[in-house]
Amino acid sequence: MGAAAVSFAAVSCRFGQVTVVDSVRLDVAAGEHVAITGANGSGKTTLLRAALGLHPLAAGTVSVGGQPARCAADWVRRRREVAWVPQRLATGFFPLLVEELLASAGAGADAACHAATELGMVELGARPLHTLSGGQLQRAFLARAMGCIAAGARVLFADEPSAALDFAGQEQVARLLAGLPVTVVVISHDRAVTRACDRVAEMAAGRLRVVA
Amino acid sequence: MYSLLELLSLAAVKRSALGLLIGAASLPVVGVFIVGLDIIAVRFAVMHVALLGIAIGLLTGLDPVLCGLVLCGLAGAGVAPLARRPTGLTGAMGLLMTFAIAGALLVLSVSGVNASGAFALLWGSILATRATDIVILAVLAVVVHALFWRKRRELGLVLFDRELALCSGVDADRIMFVLLVLTAVAIGAAIRLTGALLVVDGLTLLPALGARNMARSLRSMVIWAIVLGLLGNSVGFLVALAADQPLGPVLVLVSGAFTLLTYLIPERARDALTSSRTSRRRAAPARRPAVNRLRQP
Repeated sequence: MGAAAVSFAAVSCRFGQVTVVDSVRLDVAAGEHVAITGANGSGKTTLLRAALGLHPLAAGTVSVGGQPARCAADWVRRRREVAWVPQRLATGFFPLLVEELLASAGAGADAACHAATELGMVELGARPLHTLSGGQLQRAFLARAMGCIAAGARVLFADEPSAALDFAGQEQVARLLAGLPVTVVVISHDRAVTRACDRVAEMAAGRLRVVA
Repeated sequence: MYSLLELLSLAAVKRSALGLLIGAASLPVVGVFIVGLDIIAVRFAVMHVALLGIAIGLLTGLDPVLCGLVLCGLAGAGVAPLARRPTGLTGAMGLLMTFAIAGALLVLSVSGVNASGAFALLWGSILATRATDIVILAVLAVVVHALFWRKRRELGLVLFDRELALCSGVDADRIMFVLLVLTAVAIGAAIRLTGALLVVDGLTLLPALGARNMARSLRSMVIWAIVLGLLGNSVGFLVALAADQPLGPVLVLVSGAFTLLTYLIPERARDALTSSRTSRRRAAPARRPAVNRLRQP
């Protein structure tokens, strides 16, 4: 393993007065795959969102490629370096087509389309996202993340990427993640996914500990 | 009693028709932004801000409508940072509305200006459209269409989900700022057309709501919104003239009727419309290589 590709250094996050992430420290080496598990509300999603600048840090820093984000321009660069599969898949009624979501991978749009095909999304390109099932939506966001990786992202943050999938889909996502040559931090309760990771960490009440 | 043709030949009516056509071809796009940002309450807030601007204009002797327009733009810029908060803009709009109406009434009281004069501008009159109003609307139309057609990929992501846009490398905060300023200015600019109390409903919101029922993508939503805007406002304009009734309410009622129709169209008919559009797209593979790769593995 090389130097830390992703480093959480004493990261704390709050919602008002409530500390939901408490002094989390975790170094993830380049190419390493780490799964984060833990009970609902233990702070897993907030930790990943904070790493993308989507939730403010109360303390600590998150570095990607050795670079902490200190200003708006740093966060913009960070978001280009990291592929992201969100937990909350926005499904408002505003129409966005699957093909438009995949195109948001920029230079990796074609790779995203290829991944979508691999994930069984054939013929869904012209469908608005709000007409997809939860599982289809999750596959679409995964395909987009594959496109971002093809476009140069060296890190993948995935928040429960197989939660809405059937058993076959969960196995497929586990295989897909396992084969990725990038650093992966994945929040998951799916054993197929966690088994395929190099390390498993558990969050409880905002604290993180590596368990396997 | 004038016939409809005689009325249409009058200079004031021609000018209003032109203003209405320009507005109907561009303001529904702003309606799409309003629906996308989920800030339907923005029209109430901006109306009150416009009233404050008009009051300041009447107090200072400046052009009241221009003052309203400038203040609307400033208000849009002022609330933009609040869009980053998880609570969204609803609370901010309520606060803005309350401050604006209180400020307007205070300014009117302090200056001793007749309040009914300010409120009269809010009721608006299409037949009072001036050449200046048409120029402002035309500039606004160009800006709205240029923004949409040049930035529609980014706009689609921002309007769908700000965080997805951010994580796709889109400067979502800047786009949000531009959208809010543009929305506020558009509402302010259209005050002279149908009046603030009706303008958003007839020219912006109703076509956009109808378009949301019919469209499957942002592009088609904008096209549907413009079609419904042009249809509703043209028919409403003619009906109001023919029936010798006030234009504002008739425009809104006719536009509302078209919007209502979109709710009544059976889902199967809507699907037929959209699937025929999809078929046409499949017939043009060279223009959409990535999508075709997805469709033909």
